[in-house]
Amino acid sequence: MEFLLENILNLVGFLVGLAIGIMSYIGFRNTGSPTLFRLTIAFFSISAGFFIIWSGYMVEDFITKTGSVERWIQTLGIAIQTVGYFFIAFSHSIKSFFPKSSYFRSVGIIPLFLVSSVQLEHIFRSVSFILLAYGAIETMLSYFENRNKGAISVAVGLGLLALGEFVGWYSFVFPESILYSVSMIIKIGGLIALFIPVSKVPLTKIKFDDLE
Amino acid sequence: MAEYRTHMKIIGDILATTRDDLQDEDGASVTYLIRKANISHSRISTILKTLVSQGLLEKVENQGSNKYKISQPGREFLQAYYTFTNFADNFGLNI
Repeated sequence: MEFLLENILNLVGFLVGLAIGIMSYIGFRNTGSPTLFRLTIAFFSISAGFFIIWSGYMVEDFITKTGSVERWIQTLGIAIQTVGYFFIAFSHSIKSFFPKSSYFRSVGIIPLFLVSSVQLEHIFRSVSFILLAYGAIETMLSYFENRNKGAISVAVGLGLLALGEFVGWYSFVFPESILYSVSMIIKIGGLIALFIPVSKVPLTKIKFDDLE
Repeated sequence: MAEYRTHMKIIGDILATTRDDLQDEDGASVTYLIRKANISHSRISTILKTLVSQGLLEKVENQGSNKYKISQPGREFLQAYYTFTNFADNFGLNI
């Protein structure tokens, strides 16, 4: 059951990340917007991270058959995803703190206090949680400014990913419980919520590379 | 408090004015654009020069003064701008 859920999660994560990454890239090519460039890096990183973990499971399932995925593959995938979450949070930081104030500096150091020192994977999960929670809060705040319904879906998506990350991290305390499966189901729900508003963007009207 | 506008938003406002809100068929004068886009003369001069060199605006000389009209690539850029503004809005971001 866990194996199946892990596979579904990583495959959905890979596809959703790739779709949003491509969309952001098309936007960047058409407008030259630095925000869309950061979103491109963010979602291609998230997609690559999920893909690496999914590949690890596939290799284990069909080739090595050792019963568990290599630890370093899992850690590498999560680390690359964390880079993606960082760029989402970074975009919000720029929007919220520049050019208005120097408050950014005090918020920027929060993750340094909260990281765990147990294992590299736990560190990345902790940082991911913080970045995702920050992204979800900022997106929700922007909804209150713009009343764009898509922002609710993205905020819920990022929030569910953060919650899934937290529950997944907490499952290390109770390794045999259902918590890890629950965390994966929550994360799948988060990825779907993230994709809903993006799927409504009318991309067919955009002529790619028209300005070159 | 005045709303902070990104460089991209200012470009969007200028292009939108030259598309939707022209004084006459010849195009919009610099003064008119300054008023509509709410931007200083020195800044708009640089932006207009860039937009003309990129082919997004057409410069029309009329009775000794310059006027600006949106070009077809400019219209397509503006459409892409609106689409991806909405896309970025979903993430709570400004392009």
